[in-house]
Amino acid sequence: MELFNAFAVSLESVWLDSGFYSFTLGNGIMIAVGLLLLYMAFVKEFEPLLLGPIAFGCILANFPRTGFFDEMNLMLAINFGIKYEIFPPLIFLGIGAMTDFSPLLARPSTLLLGAAAQIGVFVALVGAMLVGFDVKEAAAIGIIGGADGPTSIYLSTKLAPHLLGAIAVAAYSYMSLVPLIQPPVMRALTTKAEREIEMQELRPVTKFERVMFPIVSTIFISLLLPPIAALLGCLMLGNLFRESGVTDRLSDTAQNSLCNIVTIFLATGTGMTMNAHDFLRADTILIICLGLVAFIGGTAGGVIFGKIMCKMTGGKVNPLIGSAGVSAVPMAARVSQVEGMRAKPGNFLLMHAMGPNVAGVIGTAVAAGTMLAMLK
Amino acid sequence: MDQPVTTNPFVIMLINMTIVFIVLVSLSFLIRLIHYCDPTKVKETPAEEPKAVAPPPPPPVVEQPVEEGIPEEVIAVICAAISTYGYSVGQIHSIRPVHNNHAWEHSVTYPNTRLTH
Repeated sequence: MELFNAFAVSLESVWLDSGFYSFTLGNGIMIAVGLLLLYMAFVKEFEPLLLGPIAFGCILANFPRTGFFDEMNLMLAINFGIKYEIFPPLIFLGIGAMTDFSPLLARPSTLLLGAAAQIGVFVALVGAMLVGFDVKEAAAIGIIGGADGPTSIYLSTKLAPHLLGAIAVAAYSYMSLVPLIQPPVMRALTTKAEREIEMQELRPVTKFERVMFPIVSTIFISLLLPPIAALLGCLMLGNLFRESGVTDRLSDTAQNSLCNIVTIFLATGTGMTMNAHDFLRADTILIICLGLVAFIGGTAGGVIFGKIMCKMTGGKVNPLIGSAGVSAVPMAARVSQVEGMRAKPGNFLLMHAMGPNVAGVIGTAVAAGTMLAMLK
Repeated sequence: MDQPVTTNPFVIMLINMTIVFIVLVSLSFLIRLIHYCDPTKVKETPAEEPKAVAPPPPPPVVEQPVEEGIPEEVIAVICAAISTYGYSVGQIHSIRPVHNNHAWEHSVTYPNTRLTH
């Protein structure tokens, strides 16, 4: 009998300590969301490198009684990497090492397209404030329109950390859907004749220009907008590794090993913010909707400014490259290329679209910096 | 600063878009300045009068247009694909297999090429 009692008490204790005992309907819904995201990542291949770990982090975050954030452990360390804005600049270091700024340097006027596409950020900001978010939350939501994951995470951790999960998921989900979201907007705003415009070949860019640009732009932007010095500085340092020609090992590490490691931590940590308590709210649905508005607004802003540049240059600029002004490097540039080829076979816009695409990265960081300076 | 300078969304939009444009226009001027100051750029020289030179003799060896060993089906598929992009088959100079082009293979399969941040 004593043996039976001891066994029963032990079983009860195991049951009361188990996650099943504390499992809520909300946890179940969020695990289902995580599984759906896993399906999108690995079966549909929507940004699998990012959505995969985000989805798995979401599942992990919804197991009760794990104690992930009670004492120092790996999960808490990853959370610190996001909370203290360590990971986004490191991702930018890798992006800088991967990105060729030559198309931008060859045609600096495309920076204007990167600026124009930021209108989506502020359209979403206005929309968010009109539906009841406060100004800091609205700014963090608006930056989704920049189509720049690290900057979205960077800004939301500073202005609205409680919305981080929803903002990150919206940003990365829409970035993976850029090939579906942008083309209808691009076609609606341009004529076939405009889409058929073939652009002149870009001038060659010297090594001097490629090395000087990251140095000069870091000094200029960091002095002007210190809150984004970490982001822009790392982006340009990575690019300097790439272009200097004497730091191949550092460039290789930044764009491969380091970037991959930080991507795992950043994406998993972002998923870990998606616990049922913080995520299952009406606000999340609003954020998802506002993110779509931001993406469409940014695309439209870039294309409309592209049309203006087309008129001003006497038809030398194809307005389709304007849509690449939302960052999403290099996917948005690829969409411009595909639409250009669809309008006229042999119309190669990829390199021309990389200019506004890179400008979009800088523009989104600048927009984040100005909002931080104004609102923090 | 504890309180934001303004909470009017339209004012925030106007101020921020203005700043974004000013910063990026300034950057474009900096790029032009770097190009202007570049000591390594090749200076454009006025085009010289072309000297009267006898036309070069035709190359002694004519390259084989289609290398042996490539199946006709493959040639047909390549021609069809090129036609789809608006070029005529007569513009094809040659069709040759590429051997040991490891760099290209790596650039295609490398996982980072899929990373969008």
